[in-house]
Amino acid sequence: MSENAEFQPRIAAFLCNWCSYGAADLAGVSRLQYPPNIHVIRIPCTGRMSPKFILSAFRKGVDGVWVSG
Amino acid sequence: MDNAAIAKGIREAAKKLLGEGKVDVVIGYAKGTVPMRDYPYFAYTPEEAENLTWSGFCCNNLALYAIRRPGRMAVVAQGCVSRNLVGLVNENQVKRENLYVIGVNSPGMVDRRKVQALFPGQTITEVEEVGDELIVKGVGFAEKVARKKVMRQNCYTCVQRNPVISDELIGGEGPASHGGNLDKVAAPWEKLGSSERWAEFQESFKDCIRCYACRDACPLCYCHVCFVDESQPQWCGKTQDEADVATFHLLRAFHCAGRCTDCGACESACPAGIKMRRLTMKIEKDIRDLYGYQPGMAIGAQPPMTLFKPNDPQDFIK
Amino acid sequence: MFARRRFAVLKNLLEYAGLEPGRLHFSWISSAEAQKFQQTVTEVTEAVKALGPATRMIKDIRKVA
Repeated sequence: MSENAEFQPRIAAFLCNWCSYGAADLAGVSRLQYPPNIHVIRIPCTGRMSPKFILSAFRKGVDGVWVSG
Repeated sequence: MDNAAIAKGIREAAKKLLGEGKVDVVIGYAKGTVPMRDYPYFAYTPEEAENLTWSGFCCNNLALYAIRRPGRMAVVAQGCVSRNLVGLVNENQVKRENLYVIGVNSPGMVDRRKVQALFPGQTITEVEEVGDELIVKGVGFAEKVARKKVMRQNCYTCVQRNPVISDELIGGEGPASHGGNLDKVAAPWEKLGSSERWAEFQESFKDCIRCYACRDACPLCYCHVCFVDESQPQWCGKTQDEADVATFHLLRAFHCAGRCTDCGACESACPAGIKMRRLTMKIEKDIRDLYGYQPGMAIGAQPPMTLFKPNDPQDFIK
Repeated sequence: MFARRRFAVLKNLLEYAGLEPGRLHFSWISSAEAQKFQQTVTEVTEAVKALGPATRMIKDIRKVA
């Protein structure tokens, strides 16, 4: 990435299979535009979410983490 | 009652328990070979019970040794150890009926580093306790030091010096607190801005050599496989890189959420003198503020992280 | 619900340790709320963009090796 290009963050998005993953699906089907910076990781339930996932994501160099249930 | 009399009481109680066969082992402290380092001791016979002691240098948390231990045991417990025992009973790691608690009021344990810092470069050969004073002896000197001056940081802010549960109380109850303010432990960082906090955090933890002594000394860390030892996937690297150190300490502190009784065993065990209570006490304060819970105060209490209420605060969720 | 308590404590802890507020986001979105999803993604991306690249909590392999 060159210096003057706009900064494009990488965001790890942990989405619950039943809630936000469905919403993402619906957003796709409804052809809603949203920024392409999120990298979706599907989790079976937000209850599966562990703090170590978040810290591990940061450690591996993401610029932001988004957890959505 | 002074510590020598309490030690005598503990020995007698232990001898009686072991002699009558009420317990298989008495877990207490024995005098260390190095001054100011009394160590955990397991007495299996009435003769061995003679070695038990009690002093202001009993920095280990004995609740650690009660975890999943087969047979009946007696544990010498001051305030924090008894709170951890209650926590372990609540978490089904210890059976209350197998546990005999020899309760003691905690005098406030001494931080050996603080004592050593008062005598830089000198070798301390013996430390005696007389009431509220310590007599520090070395080659060619013997000085009095007030106990208040060299107490461990967590003992200042202790709120429960008397045991919560005890089958036998030796020396009677004493004052519950040393008068420190528990909320103030985390305060110095809470005032700072984000980048200053990060700098402070790095500064505090930069000496960590990842020996995991804090984890091993902690009576809460009883997982069969700790997250730092998991290798597939590896959640936490093994290096001394700041990210790995941060991951380890943040997660370790997080695992103690709603369970840490501020016994200070982690700080006492740390060979690098890291103040990890800065993290655990922040969580302790949050748990108290958000969910109104103090760990280890009552048998049968539900740990806060295993519960929820419909009206839990959620302003941070969009 | 249990996760909510976990996240409340974790977010406080990370920000206490010096992670910038705005790097870590949480939200509730039902599977029928595509609009809200779109809106939240935009918000999250904007917030992280404003903070710039992450510098904390990252393991820099070049530095370690």
